[in-house]
Amino acid sequence: MENDYSDITFRLLDLSDADDFMEWYSDEKVSEFCSWDTFTSKQAAMQYVADNVIPHPWYKAICLKNKPIGSISVTPFSGYDICRAELGYVLGSKYWGKGIVTTAVKMAAASVFVEWPHLERLEAVVAVENMGSQRVLEKAGFTREGVLRKYYLLKGKPKDAVIFSLLSTDPQVNYLMYD
Amino acid sequence: MDPSRITLRKFRPTDADDLFSWAGDDQVTRYLRWKTLESKQEALTFIEEVCMPHPWRRSICIDDCSVGFISVFSGSGEDRCRADIGYAVAVEFWGQGIASKAVEMAIPQVFQDFPELVRLQAYVDVENKASHRVLEKAGFSKEGLLRKYFYLKGRIKDLVVYSILSKDESI
Repeated sequence: MENDYSDITFRLLDLSDADDFMEWYSDEKVSEFCSWDTFTSKQAAMQYVADNVIPHPWYKAICLKNKPIGSISVTPFSGYDICRAELGYVLGSKYWGKGIVTTAVKMAAASVFVEWPHLERLEAVVAVENMGSQRVLEKAGFTREGVLRKYYLLKGKPKDAVIFSLLSTDPQVNYLMYD
Repeated sequence: MDPSRITLRKFRPTDADDLFSWAGDDQVTRYLRWKTLESKQEALTFIEEVCMPHPWRRSICIDDCSVGFISVFSGSGEDRCRADIGYAVAVEFWGQGIASKAVEMAIPQVFQDFPELVRLQAYVDVENKASHRVLEKAGFSKEGLLRKYFYLKGRIKDLVVYSILSKDESI
């Protein structure tokens, strides 16, 4: 029987989702390009979620048929940079390659551009080796703006990163996905 | 211009008159976050309260008189491998390669003063072509155009990002 990966919804992530989020927090394939190191205990992952996810201004669980399989966040800047926010996302590796994150990114973009009228630019910074993540953004209609050499430290090493952006005025934004 | 006349040094209170002459000029501050200075008193206060305590700001001098500035702001945490550079020069010294020379002189000092620095970058208004040339002459590489990146003086800006790496400059 063919699996259906189209039932994608967002909700807030909760500490009671620990069994679900442990699936991606404990996965080396997932942590490779993330700022955090693979978690080996549920306690540690719950602490990370309590410190970083729960207080975050815009952080959602990506749910497939109501089960959290990953997460997506939009982190706003402030002051002169208030027109800008940074997108991040993570998905359990067994769900990779099915267009799930592309759908989630499109949904998230529509939501934040409506919820934050001052937001003009959604950007994402992706390590050059992370081809899967670059394809997500291209499919979601982001513009690839350039490669920033040795831009940030990933696990202590300077990394070249591709920067992508989506503007509130870009025709690729599908406001009909706003929920 | 004889390049040996161009030097970089920290700002001093005695630079107030010279600072006022170029930082009081809208043409110079046009692409800066700086508010155009309106008096010599403001210039002195600005030197004492902002320029001197700054983590890395230098006066660009010709014959030891201030004609401009260079500032560097470094990142922290996972961004500590990079720093932003900004600069400006008095209008009467535009088009003579002075800003480029000053930026070239600053680069090795900056990489020395910030030991974790790997990348020195600059964000330049897409319209500010003269500033693009300053960076290109100083050895920076253009990496891309960032659309609607931030606000400057009430307007949202498209910026070009340039960078030079610590390994580029140690040739």
